[in-house]
Parts: sequence; C-alpha cells; structure tokens
Amino acid sequence: MASLFSNLFRGGRRSKATQTERVRERRHEGFLRYANFRWAKISGGLCLLIIVSYALVDVTPRHNGGSWYGYTLGTLGAGLILWLTALGYRKRKMTSDYWSLKAWTSAHVYLGLSLMVIGTWHTGFQLGWNVHTLAWALMMLVILSGLYGIVVYATLPQALSNNRDEMTQMQMLEAIRAFDRQLHSAAQPLTPQDTAPVLKALDEDPFAGGIGARLSGRYRNCATAAALHALAGTGTSDPEAREKVVGLLKQKQAALGRLRQHLKIRALLEIWLYVHVPLTFALIAALSAHIISVFFYW
Amino acid sequence: MSFILRRISTTKTGKQIIRDAPLPGDAITLGREGSNTIHIADLAVNPHHATISSADGRHVRVQASEGLGFDINGRSVDVADIDSAAGAELRFGGHRLTIAREGDAIILLVERIDELSQSSKDVDEAKAFSLQGVMPGKRVGAWTFAILMLLAFLVGPIWAWQTYKNVDERPKGYHADTAWMSGPLSSAHANLKNDCQSCHVEPFVAVTDKACVGCHTGEHKAMSAAHANAPTAMLLAARAPKGTGEKILASFASAFNRPEGRCVECHTEHEGAGPMPATPQKFCADCHDGMNGRLKAAGHPTELADASDFGTGHPDFRPLVRSAPGAKPVRTLMTKGLADYNGLKFPHDMHLQATGGVARMAASFRGRYDFGKKLECANCHKPDADGVRIKPVEMERDCAMCHSLAFETVGGVTRTLRHGEPDQVVADLTAYYRSTPPARPLQLGGMERRRPGQYAEGQVYNIYFREVAVRPSRAADAVRAVFSKGGACYDCHTISPPAAGNGWRVMAVNQTPRFLEKGWFDHDAHRETECADCHTMAEGSKASTDFLVPGLRQCRDCHVGEGGARLFKVETATESPCAMCHEYHSDGGKPWMPPAQRKKNTAFITKQPSRDTYTVSQITGRTGRNLYNVTWRTPALQATEQGG
Repeated sequence: MASLFSNLFRGGRRSKATQTERVRERRHEGFLRYANFRWAKISGGLCLLIIVSYALVDVTPRHNGGSWYGYTLGTLGAGLILWLTALGYRKRKMTSDYWSLKAWTSAHVYLGLSLMVIGTWHTGFQLGWNVHTLAWALMMLVILSGLYGIVVYATLPQALSNNRDEMTQMQMLEAIRAFDRQLHSAAQPLTPQDTAPVLKALDEDPFAGGIGARLSGRYRNCATAAALHALAGTGTSDPEAREKVVGLLKQKQAALGRLRQHLKIRALLEIWLYVHVPLTFALIAALSAHIISVFFYW
Repeated sequence: MSFILRRISTTKTGKQIIRDAPLPGDAITLGREGSNTIHIADLAVNPHHATISSADGRHVRVQASEGLGFDINGRSVDVADIDSAAGAELRFGGHRLTIAREGDAIILLVERIDELSQSSKDVDEAKAFSLQGVMPGKRVGAWTFAILMLLAFLVGPIWAWQTYKNVDERPKGYHADTAWMSGPLSSAHANLKNDCQSCHVEPFVAVTDKACVGCHTGEHKAMSAAHANAPTAMLLAARAPKGTGEKILASFASAFNRPEGRCVECHTEHEGAGPMPATPQKFCADCHDGMNGRLKAAGHPTELADASDFGTGHPDFRPLVRSAPGAKPVRTLMTKGLADYNGLKFPHDMHLQATGGVARMAASFRGRYDFGKKLECANCHKPDADGVRIKPVEMERDCAMCHSLAFETVGGVTRTLRHGEPDQVVADLTAYYRSTPPARPLQLGGMERRRPGQYAEGQVYNIYFREVAVRPSRAADAVRAVFSKGGACYDCHTISPPAAGNGWRVMAVNQTPRFLEKGWFDHDAHRETECADCHTMAEGSKASTDFLVPGLRQCRDCHVGEGGARLFKVETATESPCAMCHEYHSDGGKPWMPPAQRKKNTAFITKQPSRDTYTVSQITGRTGRNLYNVTWRTPALQATEQGG
C-alpha cells in the first residue's frame, strides 16, 4: 500500500499522471476498473485482514463491539462512513488535480463494500432490537442500495440507449406533441361522443403517475389506450375520419410507450439514490446515538 | 348594430397582428363545424355550440345550443345576457371569447388560451424526466430520517435517564433508553432490564463496584477470603508486568475513563440471556502465572505455587492425609507411596479380584444385592445425595452384606452383634452363652426308653450334660475368637487386647471426607467414567493405607487448559478454565458454572442402595447363616476335663 501512495505524491507526478489519464480515457476506464482495480484490491485486503485477525485475536468472553478489537473496528467503520458520505461534497467541488472524482468514486464503492465486513465483524455477530443493530441495519441498507446502484449503472445504460433510438428525451416529448396536434385537427369532424375520449387522450400528462407507475412502466388508466379502445369499435362519426384518428392514436401510443420505457429505466437508475442518500443521514444520526449511548452508559 | 370578429395572431418576432372582420346578421352561431359564423377549431367545443344575438345592439344574449354550456366569470351556464358596454369574458373549451364595445360595434375577440394538449405544456426537462417530480426530495428525506433517529434514540433515552435518575425501580412500561441495551442481561440480572440507572448510575462514568455491592452485600463483596486479607501492595506486586499492547490498551482505558480492576471486568454483562459466563482463566492467570517469584522479589514470600493453565502449568495436588495411625491430617504433596492411615484394614485387590472367594461370595448373592459376577467399586462406595462426593464407608450399609454380624436366630428374628460398641459385643456374647443350652442331640428326643449305657464316658448323654454344665464359660472363648485373628472384628479393624482396666478396644476409624480441599471435584460430573479409569491403583492395592486418589496426571488425561493447551496426548479434551474447579469468592463451595456446562445427575441420584441394605434381619436372611452359632463338638477345654 505504501508504494501506491508514494506513486501519488512523488515529485514530477503531474506529467506522469496526465499521461496515465490519457491512457485511461482512451481505454474508457470506468470507476469500477479504475487504476486496474486498485481500490478493489485495497478493500479486499482490508476485509481479509479483518476476517483473519478476528479469528486469531482472543477476546474474552467472546467477540463483541465492546472489546478492544471491537472498538478498533468501530472507530475504523465510523470514520469510513463519514469519509464515504463526503463523496456528496466532493462531487460538487471541481478540482483539477489530486484525487480525481473517478478515483474518489472508485474508492467510495470499494471501501463502502468493505464496510459490510468492518461493520458486521464489529458487531461480533451479536444483533438485537436496539440502536446498535439499527445503525448496523441502516448501514447495510445503504450499502445494499449502493450495490444496486452499481449494478444498474453497469447494466441499464445500454437498455436506455437502445430504447432511445438516437432521440433525445425532448425529442421524444416533441413527437408526442406532434401527434397531439395532428390528433387535434384530425378529430375535428368527429361527433361529440367520439371527441370525448380523444380529448381525454390529449389531456393526458405523459409524466403523470406515481412512483409505482414510473418503476413498473405500467399505466393502467392510460387515456390514449382508452381512446384507442373506444374508437376502434363502432362509433357515430364518419368512418374515414375515425380511422385517421385511430391511426394517429396508435402512433401516439407507440411514442408514449417509448417515453414511458425511458422514464422507467431512468427511474430504476435513480431510485437507489432516494434510499442511499436519506438513509445515509439516518445512519449518521443513528451512529451518533450509538456512539453517544456507549459512552453515556459507559 | 354589428358584430365585429377580432382575431389576434402573434408573429415569430412577438409582434401582434390584429384583424377585424365584420360579421353579418343579428344572430351569430359559434361552433367547431365550418358552417358556423365563428368557427373555433377546438375539440372541446361542440359543432354547433352557441348562438350570439343582440336585440338592441347593446345587450348581447349568448345561448348554448347543444347541451354543453360555457363559462362566464368562472361559472358554467347555458344562457347569459351581457351588457356589451360593461364587457365580459366567456370560455368555450380552450378558447376565450371576450365581448366589448367600441363605438357602435360589439367586438368579439376569440383567442386560444389553453394549450392544445397536456403534453404541449412547457416542462422542466431536468425535473420531468427524473424522479424529482414523483419522489419527495432526498434532502427532505435525509433531514426527516435523521431527526427521527435523533429523537427516538438519543433525546428519548437521555430524557428517560434524566427522569429516573435517582429511582430504585422504574414503573412498568416502555423506557426509551432500553433501546440502548447492547444485549440481553444475564438471567441473574434479567429483572433489571428496565432499570438502566441501577448500574449505569452516572453518565459517562464506567460502571463502578459501588453499583455492584449495593445489592451484593454478602459473600460476593469485593474479594474472596484468601485475597481480601492480602495487603494491597502484595496484590499489586502479584500482577504480571504489562506488555506493550496491554500498556496501549491501558492508556486508552484511562483516557476514556475506564478504570481497571472493577467487578465488571470479570463479570461481563449484556452478553446474552441465560447465566453469566464463567470467569475466564486469564483473570486468575494474570497474577498466578509466575506469581511466586514476583512476590518473593517484592518481599512477600508465599507458599503458593505458580499456576498458569491447567493443561501446562498447574502445581501437583496436595491432598489432606494422615501420615501415621491416629495422626492429624496434613496437606501433603502427592508422591509415589503416599500413605493415609484411616484405621481400617481393607485389601482392595482381594475384593476386586475377578476370581477367588470374594468374587464367588458376591456371585452367590446376585439377585439379592446388585452384585455382578464380582464386586464393583459402587457395591461398597456410595455417592452422597448430590453425587459430588463419595460417602465414607459405613459398616451396616456397605460391608454387612457379606460381613454379617448375625449370631443367633430367635423365632425367626436374627440377632446381630452391635457394630461400633465392643463392650456390648462382649456382653451380648456372654449373655448368649449363659441363656442358651447347647443344641440337644436327636438321640435325646422322643419317648422311647433309653438304655443305661448311653450315660457312659464318651457316650451321647455324658457329652451333652457336660456341655450343659460348662456352657456359660464358653462365652470368654467366643469373645476372644471374635476379637482375634480370623474373628469378625479383627478382619477389618485394628484391635488392642484387654489391658489394665480396659476391655477389648477397636482403633477409631477416620475416613477423610474430602482429600482435595482447594479444588472442587465433582464425581457426578464424571459418572460416565469408570471409577478405575481414574483410581487406577485400586485394583492392585494390598493395604488400605495406599492413597488411591488420582493425581494431576490422571486429570490431564482428559482435562486441558482453557485454550486447549496440553502436555500429553489427549483423546477427548475437556477445556478447563480455573473456575471449573476453583471458586473465587467463597472458598470451599462449589465453583459456580453456567447450567449449560453442568450435567445433571440422574444415574447416581435415582439409583439408591436397595432397601435390604438397611435391614439387618433381611441382610442375614430369615433362616440365618449362624456364623457364630457354636455347634455340637467334642469339648476341648482342659478345665472341664479335670474339674467336672
């Protein structure tokens, strides 16, 4: 590990660093494989060290968070949690040298995963219904949500790109708008009974629907589908005009489907942060209570 | 009167173009269909929606024609009369119709005010396409959760502590600081689970001994008797010097206000429900490992030997033995040939032989006692009620099955000599000979006439009547026989013959009830082991003075140190911390051990000695074995021969 750091801080570092940075960019190296899995190796080694030393260190009467070994792991874990949280601050701060955001993210991911071992081994596998286990559970939820984030970041962008079909998201919306305009004029000759569902379809907000609809991509009360259903049967208006409207509704539905699929993938990509971030702060609060309680009832 | 339709359109540069067109007729139709005077391309407007007319050129009447109304000033109506001078705004679907008056003309201004469709509305791309629109903000969530956590698990517990600071027992109900409990309390302290303040008296002050002795006023107060009398300087000198790691830990402990040597260092709590764990070995070995030398160097010489680990560093046992007949018991180092005089004669080897007289006699009693083909240890040695120790041997219970003291049967009841009372034995035997005639020969029975020759010397009458005459003096003979070699008493006891003023004397028997006083040995815990596995020398022991208690070496056949340390090859190792045999707080008692580690005695307690053992008449049997019944024989006494 010493050599890893000496590499970073040696004189004449810059020219060499930019050189490697260029290589990295060319190889399109992401945060997961950053610096040839440097942080994966470091945190893997750390986990191994903890697991082995846990087995070797003799703590009486048995391992728990209150032994000297437990306190060591606990201090390490609490420090790590605070540092990992600091990614939120770091990513808003533009810097051009030391610790690229990619390096920082890489370390965040792998050290965060190692926290599973540090935290769990800190407990000595003694869990219960108390603030201590609450802090552990929150930590695990934060880590697992982060793990989910890594998985979706690795897999979903491909699906997002496939669905987009080289359109921007505003272009997707613009397509719907175009179909709406055409629908509006095409529906003019229709009878009032037939215009009502079309009007509803026009009145439908493509971004409506709660979090459930966003994540599942299923919109049960879709007005466009309902209009299509209503007009596809027998209607009172001129069949030719109706057919034109039905065709337009089908096209609008396809465009809406694409947009909704896009929204679904984006929701799947983003939802973990709505768990990860608030629970991190819940964790920091529970962790403070955990630490203060230990010293309060010392 | 004329209506003027005004349309306003906006150019791309934002410039407004106003076009006015006069409308013919008095009544103007308004609707989606092209045939209307005012054609509004709006799906929300009916094909023939309304008629606008004016009777006097000033007041305008608007009448909806196809059921669908229109809005005026926010209200939905079917017909409206409007003073054009005052003006009005009407809504048809997504369009607004403004009625105004300019000169003589009524101006009708039609504008689209709503978007064509919902999707045509302007959106904030960053918000609409992400989850921001449908989820509460992350920041809000973070604050909410964090504040809830702090309230429930920091403010609440501190408030609970503050409320019940000086209370002995809290009322029932939920107390927020129980959420701080790191693990269940041991069963002894389980009722304190709501009363955190009973041990955690002051905040940020580690649990003090004062909190413990507040309740533990008795035997557990501070230290054991052996340690309590020791001067503090000596106790401090006994402690092993600290290593680097321990120094670092100690500096942390003092930095965080956690003094050493408190009760809770050994008696750890919150380690799970159930009994408290037994104290680990290191709390003893910290001092006792190499203590002898340290104390000597510090000017407190001690006889205590060093002990570090049962498997590797434990001093030899020093059992309590009597080194000579009648001597006082003294703790003596266990060496080969150690003798313990208890006053009994008992060759273990003869009694434990698989063949020979003893085995045959035992076999003949099978079915009446729980004897096998030979005698076993348990036939004579019985455990006490809790199974921990073996009771001292008792004649009536443990020996009399074979070594009967019966001497006469009267009407089916067997009379026995009184054990433990030699004077009574002498008296009983004397009385017996005085009161009973010798057995009458068969020839003397019946009503048949007898021939005179039978009274001659050596004939049956002569012998019988002489026997009757000398009968009382036979008593002394029998008494001597009982107390002499081959007699019932002499076989087991050390006898002193009558001396001046004394009759026959039997040396007192002193059976030591507990040989190892400092350690606790529980026979019950070892009931699955054969006696001879540990008492290895019993089978070959010829004299009762042989000391048959097993030594350290035999223990180590199974018992290893707490961490498994051992000097010998052990097949089934039992990890043995100091506390398995040694009790810290109350010397002499049974060392405390969690019940899970104890094994319940079932075999020894339920297997009581048979009822026979306690009833002498049943021991000797109804018929009696008449071991002491003197039978018909030729007189051997000189005195009778001579004196008649």
